[in-house]
Parts: sequence; C-alpha cells; structure tokens
Amino acid sequence: MQPCSREMQGINSLLNPSSQIPLQDLQNQQIQNSHFDPNSSSNDDFLEQMLSAIPPSCSWPDLKSPWDLSMPINSNGNGNSAAKPRDLPDETDNTNVGFHNNFDESVILASKLRQHQISGGGSGAAAAAAKMMLHPQFLMASARGGLPQNDVIDVSSFKGGDGSIQELFNGFGAGSMNGTGQASSQSMQHFNHPQGGAMPAQNFGAQVAATTALMNQPQPSGSNGGAPAQPRQRVRARRGQATDPHSIAERLRRERIAERMKALQELVPNANKADKASMLDEIIDYVKFLQLQVKVLSMSRLGGGAAAVAPLVADMSSEAGGDCIQAGAKGGSLARPSNGSQTARTNDSSLTVTEHQVAKLMEEDMGSAMQYLQGKGLCLMPISLATAISTATCHSRSPAINNHHHPLLQPNGEGPTSPSMSVLTVQSATMGNVGGDGGAAKDAASVSKP
Amino acid sequence: MASKHTIATRHAQGIRARFASRFLRSLLRVRRSSNRFGGSQSNDEGIGKRIRTDRIKIAAYAAMARAVGPRRTWSRALLFKLRNRARIHGVSRKRCLVSEKKRVTRNKVVAISREPSRADTLRKLVPGGDSMDTCVLLEETAHYIKCLATQVTVMQSIADRLLL
Repeated sequence: MQPCSREMQGINSLLNPSSQIPLQDLQNQQIQNSHFDPNSSSNDDFLEQMLSAIPPSCSWPDLKSPWDLSMPINSNGNGNSAAKPRDLPDETDNTNVGFHNNFDESVILASKLRQHQISGGGSGAAAAAAKMMLHPQFLMASARGGLPQNDVIDVSSFKGGDGSIQELFNGFGAGSMNGTGQASSQSMQHFNHPQGGAMPAQNFGAQVAATTALMNQPQPSGSNGGAPAQPRQRVRARRGQATDPHSIAERLRRERIAERMKALQELVPNANKADKASMLDEIIDYVKFLQLQVKVLSMSRLGGGAAAVAPLVADMSSEAGGDCIQAGAKGGSLARPSNGSQTARTNDSSLTVTEHQVAKLMEEDMGSAMQYLQGKGLCLMPISLATAISTATCHSRSPAINNHHHPLLQPNGEGPTSPSMSVLTVQSATMGNVGGDGGAAKDAASVSKP
Repeated sequence: MASKHTIATRHAQGIRARFASRFLRSLLRVRRSSNRFGGSQSNDEGIGKRIRTDRIKIAAYAAMARAVGPRRTWSRALLFKLRNRARIHGVSRKRCLVSEKKRVTRNKVVAISREPSRADTLRKLVPGGDSMDTCVLLEETAHYIKCLATQVTVMQSIADRLLL
C-alpha cells in the first residue's frame, strides 16, 4: 500500500488549504458550484453523491507526493507546454504547467488509485471522492489544454460502486488504448460542463454530445481486465488528429510531399491542377516532353538530320561549292554544327550547295525538289512573304548572322528568342555568285526553315 | 517557397553558363570524332556505333550532368550510367549489351507486379529514380525539370546561332 499512501498524501495536500491556493480556491468553488448541467446524464448524480460525501479533510496523506513531484517540474513543463495549443491564465500557470507535464505521475496515480479501488482498500465513497477531487484539478489543467486526458479520465470516470467504477475505468482504459486524444477530450469536455463553466472550456466546446454518448456506455467496453493505460508520453494533438507516433510521422511525410508538389507546380507550366494525381500526370508529361525536345534538338538542329531522313552520304561542309549531292540523296548536312569561326562560311557553302541541288531538281521535277527540300526541313516561299517574315524576326537574330549574301537581314544584336525560324532570302543575285548554274530558277526562291 | 524560387533562379544562371560551355566543347569533340571517321561511316554503322544524333544527345546529357555536379542524386546516376555505357561500348558490344540489361535490372527496385503508379512512371523518367522514396523523388524531379529546361533553351539558342 505504500505507493497508494503516497498518492493519498498528494491529494491531501491539495485538499489542505496550505498548499496550492489557487487550485484550492477553484476546487472549493467547484464544490460549491453544484449546479450541474441537467443535460449531462447519469454522472450528475454521481458527482452530487461524491461531492456530498466528501469529508473536508480526507485521509489521503499518501497522495501528496505525486503533486509534490509535479511542482518542481514547472521549469520542464514550460518547455513542453509551449508546444501545446492553449492559453494559460496567469495565476494558475505554474501549477497547471506542473500538472500538464506530470504525465507519468498522473498515469501512475491513476493506476494506483484504481488498484487501490480494486483491492477494496478504501470506502467506495471516499475513493470516488478522491477521484472526484482529482479530476477537478486535472480538468483545470486540461482546460488550459495540456494534459493527456486518457489516463486522467480513467481516474475520474469512476462511478458508484467498485464494480462499476472498475468497469468504467476499464472501458476508458480500453478507449485510451486506442490512443486517440479525442475520446479523452470529449470526456474531459463532459466533465468540464457540469462544473458550470468555471473552467474555461476552450478546446472542448463542441464535443459534449459525443462525450455524453461516451459516458453513457458504462459497462460494455470493459474488455481489458487489468490493463491500465501505459505510462508513456502522450502528446496532446490538435482536434481531429491522432497522437500516436505513426500518424505523426505520416502527417509529417504528407506535409513534406505537399511542399515539394507546390514547388513543382511552379516549375511546370499549366499547373493549375488542384488534384495531386493529375498534377503528377502533368509533371510526367512535362518531363517526357522535355526529354523529347532534347532528342529532337540533338537530331534536327545539331545532329545529322531528322530521324525520318536518310543519312547524308557526303559531308557538305567539306565540299563547299562542289556538286556533292548524289542522286536522290537527302540529308540534313545543312544542319551540321560547325566551329564558330567557320559558321558563316560553312553555312554559306552548304546553303549554296542546297540551292544548287534544289535548282537542279526543279528542272527535272518539282515534286522531287519539294521532297528534297522537305527532307532538309526547308520550304519554298515567295520573296514577299519571306521579306515580311524576315523583317519581323530579324530582331531576334544574333549578330552572328553576318551574311553579306543576305542584305535583307539586319542583325540587331539581340539573342535568339523562342520563335525558331530562320529565314534566308536568296536573291537572284546570289545565283550569279554561285556561278555555273545556268538553269537556276529565275524567280528568287527563299529557303526558310520551320 | 519564395526563397526556394529565388535560389533556383540564381542557380539557373550558373547552370546555364556551365552547361553551355561544356556542351559546346562536347559538340566540338563529337564533330571532330565524326570527321575523323568520315561522314559516311558514322551514320551507316549498325547497332554498335551510336549514330551522331544519339551522340549529341548523350553529349548534352553528360554536359548537363557534369555541370550540375555530383550534388544531386540524378546527376550522379546519370553520370554513372553514361560512364558504364561508354565503357561497355568501348569494350565489346554484343556481350555487354546483355550484361548491361542485367545490370540495369539488378539495380531496379524489385516490384510486385502491380499497375505502375504515377510515382513509378516518374521513377523511370528521372535518372536514378529507382532508389528514391517519394519525397526525395519529387525534389529531384523539380531540379531535373529545371535543368532540362535550361538544357533545351541552351541547345535551341546554339542551334539557332549555328544555322544562321
């Protein structure tokens, strides 16, 4: 019985006016405040019973120490309680903080009281009264919002005789086993209410009905015969959220993922999807699109030619000005990358060679000429249109386009922008430059790349 | 998120410059190598030799991965894969194609046969995505998308300049 005696002393210290005065005042106030909410059902009678049966000075010397233990923990409590959402009234701050963080002590207290009760050590009324005394303090503490109510409720939910008390305790023990703070908060809410609002029932406003329902199931949930709530640390969670570490970790993980999704949303265009799944689809499509773009760029612009085009037979740049095109050869040698210094020359030569070839083909058959051009990714258009386009886009061309063959183009020194059109206008005069091309087309053809 | 965005933009400038320089250098290398082998050969060979377009693509990815550096999981995975490919193609083609497949499958996470969820699809797209959990995967995807976008713009601008 030694531990129980300690707990008795603790409670006794509460009852003694010498110790924690604000608590005492509140406690007295609650005792005097015997107007119970008529809506709260059977517990009112219980409470009234208990209150009437309370001797002013209980023989509970044993209950002193848990509360004494709680007092020095004030400093620790401040650190812990900061994490909990509540507002502390000042005068009860210290004591409440002590109570708040006295998780283990309260649990031990609860279990010991229950065991004491089971062993029938004290009178039923006295024991119940002790618990009644306990839970106002806990109520006050919890109303400030910090205690893990699971274990406290076990204590304070004792009713009537030993058997019913034990079963109720077991019921709440089972409920608390599930590890949700909701049940406890609801039951706390219920206990708060009958106190006539002396307690600031901040967090438990809307849960009276649920609490009554919970309280009204006295017996059936008494499944665990003797398993009290484990003395482990319980974090008081916000409303509607679980408290066990698994769900907390889950919540953290989900928050991190949501954070990253938001960052991704900024990167991906057309990211106005609210749904996570469709957002992921967008992301996947965008990555595929970018990779495809790299592939296409490496092929058509910088590489050997489009995939649909047969590879070029000869290297155009190395055979400037010659008739290097074999019959039927198509290719993208025009797009071959060249050194910076050779850019102009290479392009000129390759372009003139292309012109050569086109002109030649056009003599034979327009269709083959068109096919040749298409294979190169070029097209034929009237000069007027080409002029219009070139003047529209010439500002987007870099000064590297320093081509004296194309007087229409005025390099303006700006970098290339997104329209990836390069317009080359071939004047009929250039035909003369090439020379030896008698059958060249009389009207100037402009070769433009889409 | 705002701070992350500003950091990302600051990074973009550096990455763009680094990637551009590396890519141009690798382009020169590719061109020189293709010239050495002759224009016809590099395009006519079969499975063994990579055709020029793929070479350029690989050069682009390698340049990007090196520009990013080994800080990121995907860049490390990409560099590793490219290095293996280079080694394989240098040594022996037929034999190593098979072994490459084996190697690849060994690295992948052993999955129960189920419908590939979106996260799995993303894992396949992002290099090195097999060994990442969802949270890290999303972060890597964000960085990868950013780098891919800069890669595309740089390549496009290079192509524009070269053609004109």
